[in-house]
Amino acid sequence: MFAILVYDVQEGRVAKALKICRKYLIWVQNSVFEGEITEARLRSLKGELMAVLEENNDSVIVYTFENSRYTKRVTWGIERGSVSNII
Amino acid sequence: MKTIYIFTNGTLIRKDNTLVLDTGEEKKHLPIENIRDLFVFSEVTLNKRLLEFLTKYGIAIHFFNHYGYYTGTYYPREHLNSGHLIVKQVECYIDPARRINLAKGFVTGAARNILHVIGYCRKSHDELQTIIENVKGFAEGIPKTKTIEGLMGIEGNIRDAYYSSFDPILSRKGFSYSGRSRRPPKTPLNSLISFGNMLMYSTLLTEIYKTHLDPRIGYLHATNFRRFTLNLDVSEIFKPIIVDRTIFSVIQNKEIVPEDFEESAQGLLMTEKAKRLFVQRYDEHLDATFHHRRVGKVSYRKVIRMELYKIEKHLIGDTEYEPFISQW
Repeated sequence: MFAILVYDVQEGRVAKALKICRKYLIWVQNSVFEGEITEARLRSLKGELMAVLEENNDSVIVYTFENSRYTKRVTWGIERGSVSNII
Repeated sequence: MKTIYIFTNGTLIRKDNTLVLDTGEEKKHLPIENIRDLFVFSEVTLNKRLLEFLTKYGIAIHFFNHYGYYTGTYYPREHLNSGHLIVKQVECYIDPARRINLAKGFVTGAARNILHVIGYCRKSHDELQTIIENVKGFAEGIPKTKTIEGLMGIEGNIRDAYYSSFDPILSRKGFSYSGRSRRPPKTPLNSLISFGNMLMYSTLLTEIYKTHLDPRIGYLHATNFRRFTLNLDVSEIFKPIIVDRTIFSVIQNKEIVPEDFEESAQGLLMTEKAKRLFVQRYDEHLDATFHHRRVGKVSYRKVIRMELYKIEKHLIGDTEYEPFISQW
């Protein structure tokens, strides 16, 4: 499936969250990630993330889609993180 | 899971437990959990730590030289070990009757898929009928063959006849076939065929890595001391439906034009732009899905893996191997 993950994390933990997310998804903007991911991997991403975040102070939202066929993605302004697999 | 194709020079490193391509100008982070394999076409520096990291995740990395030719693969330590299956694989290889039986399966599959690909184009090209008859004629010889050499001969004849159909199918200026040439390829079409086949061999190698099969033991292509051969065998089945269709589409849609090739000492080479485009279309083709009679919606990549499982089943004496025949 396809996922978009956004987080709002307190300063001291941003770097940790970033590093973990980068293992699973493609960084597209500050605190925004996207990419193909399986249920199992999403679960292990959650596990890793929740181990460093504080449940009462930090927030993560994940939008998931069956696939990306019915979505359209446009960028206004500069493209910060590229999602192509041909680099 | 994604295949990453690298055309940019840089250093590949393990950083923060993920993969990073440092190009000097920027650091591109590649999500390690989502990587199937890597194809490297550019100059890339890497170290042992990276190889260890790739091994941990079971990611093969295929290298291609400056001219785009296959250099080799870093094939991580086998992670799916099955002594039982290796014994079975070897048993099947050293028994001439069993070896040729399996090899015939590959050639039959290749022939049927070739017929499927040109049969589809026949609607608009009457002249293909004779070629189809020729291919069918050669294919009839497959069951009667007693030797691997004979089988290779038939395979060669089928392929020659098949490639001669490219001229009427494509009929684009600058892309006439005029005979197969390799090492070096002499025409743009030959250059595309060689490049595409090479991608296919590497893709198969990655998929074989994810099974218990040993890529060094092939059946149609003789196993010798240096090479992976099982990937060559199984590629025969998929080359027409994946590589050749990609070639048709990039030429017919004028995405690749004769100006995308340049003369060099190593033969006619594709420009980087053309290579990138071809790789993209090839990758899209592998991920394209269709409806399979038995399993429903699957991608071609999945079908390749299923083909390998069928070979495993054949080797352990479970179900007789039947090659994948495209219906769509």
